[in-house]
Amino acid sequence: MTKQNQKPNKNLLIAVVAVLAVLILLALFVWPGFLKGAPKRELNVYNWGEYIDKNVLTAFEQANDVKINYSLFSSNEEMYTKLMSGASYDVIIPSDYMIERLIKEGKLQKLDKKVVTNLDNLTDGVLNMAYDPDNSYSVPYLWQTVGIVYDTTKISEKEMEAQGFEAFRNPAYKGHVYMYDSERDGFMVALKALGYSANTSNRDELNAAYEWLREMDKAVAPSYVTDEVIDAMANGEKWMALVYSGDAAYILSQNPNMSYCTPYQGTNVAVDAMVIPANAANPELANQFIKFILDDENSLLISQEVGYASANKNVLAELSGPEGDYEGNVAYVPRAGYEKDEYYVDIPEDLRGLYSEMWIKVKLHE
Amino acid sequence: MERKKKSLGFFFSRGYLLLVLLFIYLPIAYVVVFSFNSSKSLTNFTGFSLQWYENMFKDRTMLESIRTTVVVAVIATAVSTVIGTVTAIGLSKARPLIRAMVLETNNLPVLNPDIVTAIGMMLLFIVPGVQLSMTTLVIAHITFCTPYVILTIMPKLRQLDDNVAEAAMDLGASPFKALTKVILPQIYPAILSGALIAFSMSFDDFVISFFTAGVGINNISMYVYSMKRYNPSVNALSTLIVVVVTLILVLVNVIPHFRDKKIKREDPET
Repeated sequence: MTKQNQKPNKNLLIAVVAVLAVLILLALFVWPGFLKGAPKRELNVYNWGEYIDKNVLTAFEQANDVKINYSLFSSNEEMYTKLMSGASYDVIIPSDYMIERLIKEGKLQKLDKKVVTNLDNLTDGVLNMAYDPDNSYSVPYLWQTVGIVYDTTKISEKEMEAQGFEAFRNPAYKGHVYMYDSERDGFMVALKALGYSANTSNRDELNAAYEWLREMDKAVAPSYVTDEVIDAMANGEKWMALVYSGDAAYILSQNPNMSYCTPYQGTNVAVDAMVIPANAANPELANQFIKFILDDENSLLISQEVGYASANKNVLAELSGPEGDYEGNVAYVPRAGYEKDEYYVDIPEDLRGLYSEMWIKVKLHE
Repeated sequence: MERKKKSLGFFFSRGYLLLVLLFIYLPIAYVVVFSFNSSKSLTNFTGFSLQWYENMFKDRTMLESIRTTVVVAVIATAVSTVIGTVTAIGLSKARPLIRAMVLETNNLPVLNPDIVTAIGMMLLFIVPGVQLSMTTLVIAHITFCTPYVILTIMPKLRQLDDNVAEAAMDLGASPFKALTKVILPQIYPAILSGALIAFSMSFDDFVISFFTAGVGINNISMYVYSMKRYNPSVNALSTLIVVVVTLILVLVNVIPHFRDKKIKREDPET
């Protein structure tokens, strides 16, 4: 009995240990850089997930004989935390308001414009934004506006353009509306509709926006959604939805009945741009990388892969022009140079609680 | 009458079981089906295609994240299983006060929210100036896996008859032999389940990995979580993981079965 019970157990134990040992050895050998010759130059790039064509990375590696360590973040705040922990990156691609904060805190270094010589590729809409007035710290990457995707078989273009954000309070659309579930974007809609700045810290204006949103909730009873809105609108499930233009471009390409309206009341323009942190280990290579990304062919690959508007004017023209991927797609090229459009500034600390509290109340129909 | 009653209960229990199984497996089935979708849509199945699998194998960040996850999980499992087993055996022989103290300390990281462990780990590394890297990631994983191993092995050790190990030593076994020939074989199933729990904890961890991984290191969870737009290749990746896990489970369950049969055939007198 005992003999039989022990023998297989012992064998199994040895087998398990052996397998583990082999796996560890294998893992160590497979690990890049292990047991390899002289280390290559390295470039640490920190970007949003699924926000590049990876062939561009490989092309840069081959052209410059470097290895790119590519890290991912899902929000500006997450990126900021990581940067504050002392991690050293060479190129980061955060959004407008975060760049403003990083500049103010002295966390960025200036671009070397002797290396980044192709800044005239940039389209006017993203040039010299208020957060970095002469583009001395940042080179725009992709950008978009917030607007309304609508079904042209239910709402005519004329009707939609005339209403803009007020369409969210038109009782005729009750039950056919998606609202993006983001307090910042929700309040932007209300503040813009009322003619205020989306970055206001005036409490009376915020209260007025809150009342506007409550009326919206009553008038159209929207479904509050996040990214599932993209698929839903591509399937034509409702008449209208608040979306970012990059996602709208995809929806329009899937469903020919859909169109996109950038409201006349003004809206949010969101720019993601490449910057070099002050503690970058390899700023020279970082500048070369930024120039490389801004080159027409690489910007083209990135914009095609991600589907958001390029900051490169030649790419914008090519993709929206004849035979381009986005020919006739009104959502692809964001509105530029419109006076009432603005980018987000950080909500002051003391108003953050107020924002989320009021947004929850709106959603609870209180 | 009685027969009818029985069948009602029968249907109710089967129905209940079916419902439970549906809840567990329907989401997985959904992911598997949509990994073969020919379009990017997550709700419309437009036709069969293998493009997301192709994309997955072409995607260097995704492949790197798979490699990172597997390497970290294997090392963390191996080390934490050894540490956990040794600790548990030691504790079973320790004085009750010490055992109680160590076990309470051991429970703390299990009950603690991951985010607290994660920030704590990060501070532990960066305050003395240690650069976050692959090594810090592995250390963090070993740290949060070990308590689970100890927790799984302790109950099994309590069931053991102390006299068996003593008898082995009476019969001339050295303490080390008693450990490897008597104690370890008896608690072997618990060690295996401890290792499996450690592996799965490490495999799908996001929070702790995010705060302790160095520059350029992403595991699968970090990769999926950071996606600005959903990439259906994740469905393909999940399907692959499900297939691998199923295969391992089948092998683990089938191999002992065959081996037992073989042993029986070899010495039929017992």
